[in-house]
Amino acid sequence: MQDHIQLDQKQINDDLLAGVLGMPKWWLPAVLFLTLVVFAGLGSFGYMMNKGLGVTGLNRPVMWGFFIVNFVFWIGISHAGIMISAILRLTQAEWRRPVTRAAEVMTVFSLMAALHTPLFHVGRPWREMWVFPYDFARGVWPNVRSPFVWDPSAVGTYLIASSLFVFIALIPDLAVVRDRAVNPLVKKIYGTMCLGWRGTPRQWKLQAVAGILLSALVLPVFVSVHSIVSWDFAVLIGVEGWHSTIFAPYFIIGAIHSGVSAVAMLMALSVWLWGLDKYLRPDHFDAIGRLLIVVATTWFFFFFLEWVFALYTLEGVEISLRELQVFQWPYGMLFLIFLATAFFIPVPMWMFKSVRRSAFWMFFTTVLVNVGMWLERFLIIIPGLVRRQPFTFDWGTYHPSIIEILIVAETFAFVALGMLLFSKFFPLIPIFDIKEGMVVRDEIKIGRRIVPATIRE
Amino acid sequence: MASGHAEHPGNPALVTAEDVTKDLLGKHAGTSNNFWRVASVFGILLILGIIGFVMRLSDGVSDTAVWGYYAAMFAFILTTAQSAPMVAIAPRIAKAHWRRPISRVAELWTVVGLFNLLLFIPMLWILPPLSDGRRSLWFYFDGGDVPSYSPHIWSTLAILGLVVIGVALLWMSALPDFAMVRDHAPDGWKKRWATRLARGWIGSSAQWNMQKHRLGILGAFYFMMLIFVHFLISVDFLITLVPGWVDSLFPITHAANGLQAGVATVLLTIWALYKFGGYKDYIAFDQIWGLGKLLFALSLLWFWFWFSSFNIFWYGGKPEEQAIIELLMSGPYRWAFFGVFFFNFLFPMWTMMWNPLRRSTWGPPIIAASVLIGTFLDRIRLYVSAYSIDGIGNPAINKHVVVEIPETIYPSLADIFIMLGALGGMVFIFLMATRLIPIVNIWEQRELKLYEIHKTFHRTVVKVLGKPD
Amino acid sequence: MFAKRSVIGLYTDEEAAASALDALREAGYDQGEYEVLTGTPYPEGTFGEEEPKHTLYRWPLIGAACGFIVGLVLTSGTQLAYPLVTGGKPVLSIPPMTIIMYEGTMLGAIIFTVIGIIIESRLPRLFMGAYDERITEGYIGVTVTTSEERVGTAEEVLNASGAEEVKRGWENN
Repeated sequence: MQDHIQLDQKQINDDLLAGVLGMPKWWLPAVLFLTLVVFAGLGSFGYMMNKGLGVTGLNRPVMWGFFIVNFVFWIGISHAGIMISAILRLTQAEWRRPVTRAAEVMTVFSLMAALHTPLFHVGRPWREMWVFPYDFARGVWPNVRSPFVWDPSAVGTYLIASSLFVFIALIPDLAVVRDRAVNPLVKKIYGTMCLGWRGTPRQWKLQAVAGILLSALVLPVFVSVHSIVSWDFAVLIGVEGWHSTIFAPYFIIGAIHSGVSAVAMLMALSVWLWGLDKYLRPDHFDAIGRLLIVVATTWFFFFFLEWVFALYTLEGVEISLRELQVFQWPYGMLFLIFLATAFFIPVPMWMFKSVRRSAFWMFFTTVLVNVGMWLERFLIIIPGLVRRQPFTFDWGTYHPSIIEILIVAETFAFVALGMLLFSKFFPLIPIFDIKEGMVVRDEIKIGRRIVPATIRE
Repeated sequence: MASGHAEHPGNPALVTAEDVTKDLLGKHAGTSNNFWRVASVFGILLILGIIGFVMRLSDGVSDTAVWGYYAAMFAFILTTAQSAPMVAIAPRIAKAHWRRPISRVAELWTVVGLFNLLLFIPMLWILPPLSDGRRSLWFYFDGGDVPSYSPHIWSTLAILGLVVIGVALLWMSALPDFAMVRDHAPDGWKKRWATRLARGWIGSSAQWNMQKHRLGILGAFYFMMLIFVHFLISVDFLITLVPGWVDSLFPITHAANGLQAGVATVLLTIWALYKFGGYKDYIAFDQIWGLGKLLFALSLLWFWFWFSSFNIFWYGGKPEEQAIIELLMSGPYRWAFFGVFFFNFLFPMWTMMWNPLRRSTWGPPIIAASVLIGTFLDRIRLYVSAYSIDGIGNPAINKHVVVEIPETIYPSLADIFIMLGALGGMVFIFLMATRLIPIVNIWEQRELKLYEIHKTFHRTVVKVLGKPD
Repeated sequence: MFAKRSVIGLYTDEEAAASALDALREAGYDQGEYEVLTGTPYPEGTFGEEEPKHTLYRWPLIGAACGFIVGLVLTSGTQLAYPLVTGGKPVLSIPPMTIIMYEGTMLGAIIFTVIGIIIESRLPRLFMGAYDERITEGYIGVTVTTSEERVGTAEEVLNASGAEEVKRGWENN
């Protein structure tokens, strides 16, 4: 990092534990508001269970609407956390240090939020446990051939893996909280959670190895999860616009795009809400901005390829779907907004260093990206269903109801609430990682220049 | 990550930038007899290839089925040699220091792109025009009025662009080294050519800045052009020849195969330099291990891309897609496909999990050789099968589904000569290029001496790596 | 009463901690008796300590094997127990089975790796032993766990190396 502030361990502890050992003024009102939204959503779900799915806008032919768009969106967001954490660990990029834990925690809560929507969405939620093979007496087993059985195995694996990843990396920081806590009960709780961590060379070495090994193990899982979610659509031959082999990598690169943007949003919020500007420097925003340019451009190429091959066969049914998506109201307008917000506004802006180094502009552009990416999933799912061939007598429209809107809002509130509650009990920026960054920081003198350097073993 | 204490790399006598320069210039100046012996073997293979090509020409260019192996070789060189420079470009953008000894090796493979450009010319005659009514990428024209030679024109432009950018990249990277040879090497033809190619390089700050920026831009353009060329070739020279093959992922798969094979090509080349070329002081475990890790990840990627396409085709049960699975995987080229699956995925994945093999200087090169064999078989199974579809070029055949799966086409003598010639030609041209251009980047090695120091940190010795701007 | 006693010396400076370890070695204490505690990871060997050996890499392999078997048994067992043909696909369809077996393999590998990390880190540890809370504030702790007779000498060695404070372990339990 070119601009770096060298801090001592006590200062780091004080800064990064401020949210844990104290409480920022805005925290409680924010938590109360978010809890209200969550309850509103859960209440809507209860109402929906009581009255049936008819209270939503879902019907033939659009049997998948906001809920599934939201599901794919949150699975997408969940991807960046582990990707940033894992890939930046494996490439030993120094700028990862302040970012990894918030990203990993966002992954965990996004996955839980993503799981909300299909769990709420099925017609008979009380039968959901049947997707797991647990009951010998029933004599009925889940259909392994269905993508809807692959989904829980993948998302479940990813959720467990990410949670364990967060926990292992959290252990040294739990020890810091244990040592700083004044209340003996709090001390005992954190002491139990950190399993008696002392900071021996063996323990530190295993932390380093664990980081690399778990990163290497979780990356293949991360690739498989969104591929499997994409195959919910791509293996079907009944809906135009879905049966495309590119869906697996396309969804993943889209997930990385929206997820890395979400991490950038989190970084800006950390600076503004917790005052962590000594740890999240303009260099960090610059680095994530440059990563986003590459990711966004790659995503755009995949999007372009998907369209090329949709039109390649010149089949009437596919072309009429694409005409609906681009030229007909309201999909045409949404398509324009999607292209502008997901690529054409943010990427040219990110070409400018001053934009990349500013927390505000990074926040603004990444919010745009996520709006665009939510719309992208909407445009993949709903238009194809609206004009489902060959059942032209079924052609219909889709109008989301207040129930769906409340439940979607609940997922956003759930993730925000989860992050805020996490930040109250655990430090959002990994303390030992920052300390290690201070230790391995060095300088090299070349002529009159001082060049920042890193100690590598 | 290497465990234990940092070892001082290479030869402890190579302390300053001047030591490194003298050493590398010395290696570049001489050519051993062994080198000429090896080069002449590959030269003979190249001549065999020319003979095979002439034999093939006698069959004419109208029957695409007999040109399948030729097309496969063209694609193989695109996938291996022309994708190799990515090993120099990507780490340079990421400012990774370990690439320094091997970036020139990767860039040098673009010279083989000139060879491939020659090979491409007959492809323009072999590929049927679009007047047979088949689909193509160039559907932006109204109705059926696509200019019949659109694929030919656009692909030529793309490949020309790729080769030009590649050569420019190589030259820009080699400029300071040409100046070094011009200034310090003994008199001879190498010095004369270096003087011509160094074009007034004096090493001023302005020149270094210009070189850095141009390398960055050329690198980015090469990458984009490479993906674009893979896109055009995989679609217009392969997918469109098979009725019913609609695979949006395939251009990416083709490009990813290129990245995997490019890394394997560079790995095998640097291993040869390490073992036989006398470059043990520069190319060490770090480089082999770095590329080995990359190769392992790309092998997993190979499987992911293949499975993504396969799952979609298999699951839906559509007749045209089942026909594609049979044509490319379970039918006449079944054994080639099993070979690809084994060499490109199973073998790398299983062996890279073995620590003794993985963390050695001989393990990753074996994986690289495996990947190259797999890529070779892959190009054959794809191109020979596609080019053997009966009646391509015939407006009357069913364009929606492969009605009759063609029989396996085994290579004839001409095809064997062509394959040997392609492989031999690649290596021969590369070896010849190394006579003119230093194979290890001298200026990057000098730059490393500025940014890398070793120092004692309390009771241990650590390596300190500076971060360039 | 335990046969071993522990003592901890607190240092503010890495060099002092490293010389303390040198002095302990010279005084005849062996590697298993002393340990360095830090609040942040340092490059390996900074204090002259030996490289810790671990067998972590076995755990993911064992876990992966277990996960693979569970995945195989679950997918094939359930489908054979209720053989219903869906989508025209065979009862034992390899592509979908591969997907679920793959997830099972990875889950097994990760769970076992995490267990392995905890165990190889010699956690959970019931008693903290010689420890001081200032270690997470930046102090470096050098602990010696040895027999009652030798712990006095250890205290002297630690003090002589420039410790800010030296205290006995069980006072902190």
